[in-house]
Amino acid sequence: MSPGAEVITLIQGGDEDALSCGSQHCITCGDDGVPMTVVALDPGRGLALCAGESGRSSVETALVEPVEVGDRLLVHAGTAIARLEAR
Amino acid sequence: MRFVDEFRDPELGRAVAAEILSLVEPGRHYKIMEVCGGHTHSIYKYGVDDLLPANVELVHGPGCPVCVIPMGRVDDGIAVARQEGVIFTCFGDMMRVPGAEGSLLEAKAAGADIRMVYSPLDALRIAKQNPDREVVFFAIGFETTAPSTALTLKRARAEGVTNFSCMCSHVTIVPPLRALLESPDLRLDGFIGPGHVATVVGARPFEFIPADYGKPVVVAGFEPLDILQSVGMILRQLRDGRCEVENQYKRVVPYEGNLRALQVMAEVFELRPHFEWRGLGFISHSGLRLSEAYAELDAERRFAVPGVRVADPKACQCGEVLKGVIKPWECKVFGTACTPERPIGTCMVSSEGACAAYYNYGRFAREREVV
Repeated sequence: MSPGAEVITLIQGGDEDALSCGSQHCITCGDDGVPMTVVALDPGRGLALCAGESGRSSVETALVEPVEVGDRLLVHAGTAIARLEAR
Repeated sequence: MRFVDEFRDPELGRAVAAEILSLVEPGRHYKIMEVCGGHTHSIYKYGVDDLLPANVELVHGPGCPVCVIPMGRVDDGIAVARQEGVIFTCFGDMMRVPGAEGSLLEAKAAGADIRMVYSPLDALRIAKQNPDREVVFFAIGFETTAPSTALTLKRARAEGVTNFSCMCSHVTIVPPLRALLESPDLRLDGFIGPGHVATVVGARPFEFIPADYGKPVVVAGFEPLDILQSVGMILRQLRDGRCEVENQYKRVVPYEGNLRALQVMAEVFELRPHFEWRGLGFISHSGLRLSEAYAELDAERRFAVPGVRVADPKACQCGEVLKGVIKPWECKVFGTACTPERPIGTCMVSSEGACAAYYNYGRFAREREVV
């Protein structure tokens, strides 16, 4: 499967088990951001497949466009809110 | 991992701790509030407070979005979730927050279709998979999370998903900080600013704290070295007689914030005249609701919402904990009747809550000697 197809699969119908919260830390409930790396892009829908410590997920990229494969993003609640790069 | 490992280096941590020791005046007691629950969690996970001099006290602020949700709002959510044909979605920690008639988790056990999601985008996906059901997303969180909800609502409209709506309980950070600063209970020397809220709103909205109240603010990252360095920056301002907003988290936070996020929030949300905060009461212009332009996606207009106000349990002292007036272990029910497994108050629910952080990392009681 191409990386692009993987993005579509994740977006259209994911694994319900992937929706379970870890016991220690709920990333979306706190003011918490997770560093992730862009693995593949679906530019037509403004989404990217990103990989992080806790696995892969589709991420909304509208707030940090343009993004490219390999970019490092700070992701909160499924949305990239900042780019991680040396300022 | 890049951007993480270098901020957990123990040698660097000890060096910053030694620098902090050189900045404090013996005999003076410093109270510094970390606004954000994410910082509270990191402080106890990494034992940051053990590296500080005994006369530097960290006070835990109201920045855990789960902890500030009042009981009545949970009951409103349960009332919507019980309606025929509804799939109710919310973040994981929200499910365990007790309302007057139990939690969302208990309502789920009793038959309501309540599902946990990691992001609003997941809730929208459930709506697309279930076109014959009404899917409601219970949106909580500060300005960090609000853009994610706003973008999902825009996406729902663009993709023509009509069975999706949002019950908006987003809150803003500045009004409760102002309320705290006006509170006569509390004397603070400075603030560790919320790093990820600032990623969205920037550091500028915190300028009122030095300007109007004469207290330093340092916007901080979430790794242990970030927090230590920020405490050092606040102490240095105090030593030098300065008071300003500084940005320790420059690698992520632009001073002006994320303008696109602010634009999308302004388009989708508007300020409520007032919103109830657990322990802090009603605060003007502190909560968000959907704007007129997005009224058709507003669950509070689509469903009957009781909107009843419920008083907090008498035994629970979450309000004093959220204001930093008492430490969690000073609460009468901490660790006995109120535990993460069976929370009475919201501060014990989320891992970002001060009580849960104290409980999970073994801070059941603490007496420290003042140097």
